[in-house]
Amino acid sequence: MPEPAMDPKVDHAFLDNLITQYRHKPGALLAILESAQDHHPRKYLTKETLEYIGKEIGVSRSQIYNVVTFYSFFNLTPQGDHSITICRGTACHARGSKKILDFVKNMLQLQETNSGYADKLCLTTPDNRFTVRTVACFGQCALAPVVSVDERIYGYMTCRKIREIIEKLDREPVEPVPLFI
Amino acid sequence: MGGHRLPACDPQTKKLDNNMSKEFTIRINGRDIPAQEGETVLDVARRSDIYIPALCHLKGLSPVGACRLCLVEVKGVSRLVPSCTTYVHEGLDVITDSEGIQKCRMVILQLLFSERNHTCSVCVSNGHCELQAIAENLGMNYVRYPYRFPALKVDASHEKYAIDHNRCVLCTRCVRVCKEVEGAHTLEIIGRGVHSLVLADLDGLWGESQTCTGCGKCVQVCPTGALFEKGKAVGQMKKRNEFLPYLMSMRSLNR
Repeated sequence: MPEPAMDPKVDHAFLDNLITQYRHKPGALLAILESAQDHHPRKYLTKETLEYIGKEIGVSRSQIYNVVTFYSFFNLTPQGDHSITICRGTACHARGSKKILDFVKNMLQLQETNSGYADKLCLTTPDNRFTVRTVACFGQCALAPVVSVDERIYGYMTCRKIREIIEKLDREPVEPVPLFI
Repeated sequence: MGGHRLPACDPQTKKLDNNMSKEFTIRINGRDIPAQEGETVLDVARRSDIYIPALCHLKGLSPVGACRLCLVEVKGVSRLVPSCTTYVHEGLDVITDSEGIQKCRMVILQLLFSERNHTCSVCVSNGHCELQAIAENLGMNYVRYPYRFPALKVDASHEKYAIDHNRCVLCTRCVRVCKEVEGAHTLEIIGRGVHSLVLADLDGLWGESQTCTGCGKCVQVCPTGALFEKGKAVGQMKKRNEFLPYLMSMRSLNR
């Protein structure tokens, strides 16, 4: 088996610390994966990270991949600087969230692909500026249609409002994000 | 749910020492049948030659209740329960065959057929397939749901075996045999819901898997032609899964 311990893409010190912290605790895998994802500048889990975590805590790779592909909050692809999450729940759908989703996809020139395993949409622009994803419900149905931009919830969303938000974010200077840790 | 408490589905409760377990009689279809504590309704029914269809259940593997074909009526419980995860207790009264159950099983079976591309005429397991046998037994002659016709891949990268996702029913027998019996845990369900696939390791090719021992247990326990040996022509892939109860009993003696 190739030695993943030498991989430069994995922050071993961080992961080792994390694993010692959670060792022998039930549900450690989820907590470790969550922290590891948050630690990555692009907010995703690399295959090298998954392999390293699996090896260290004694969980098979297939089981880790099973968990990571089950929960849609784990990312396996690099995420953009700004995340736009559009609610596709029933209330938001009835208030026109499909139109907003199509508008945002069109504005950012995103093409839908069928590569993902999950039902949920997660698309990132080629320049890594924006990630567009959908969610089943925010629990803010009274504000429908709801869109969350960088974890802030915006209610009564319209195509014009979301365009203003995206344009404002796009004018912000781009902070360099290291490709690897 | 009615007044009955259903015993928890725990594979560990299966007693190894038969002298210690409690014996009583349960009623299946109005017949009094002796049963032991720790047995499931399906175990007792199969032992008494009462037919209950099941795809995910296999003697020697932990019960999961995934296929839902073994649903039965239990007196005092308002919903149907899977017989493979329902443990027997004193006074249990079960009906394994009624119009309602038949209807329910037919719906589940038709959904299984509509989900993937089950084309028997070109399948290696034609004639030896458990899904096909159940469809014949239940008299399924049409599928009322539109077929999904998903475009799924075939992974033939392994030296000896291949997996055709088009024929998979996601019973997880291969996953459990790989995890519980072989201990390699190479295969696992990846993805969720209708997008689930049985894949090796971190979504790699099966042939490149570092953990697969190539034992072929997964192939032998697969109820359909999803997992098959290479070089087998249509209708040639006969599965041999009698090794499992033997393997498990030898292991329990070793303990």
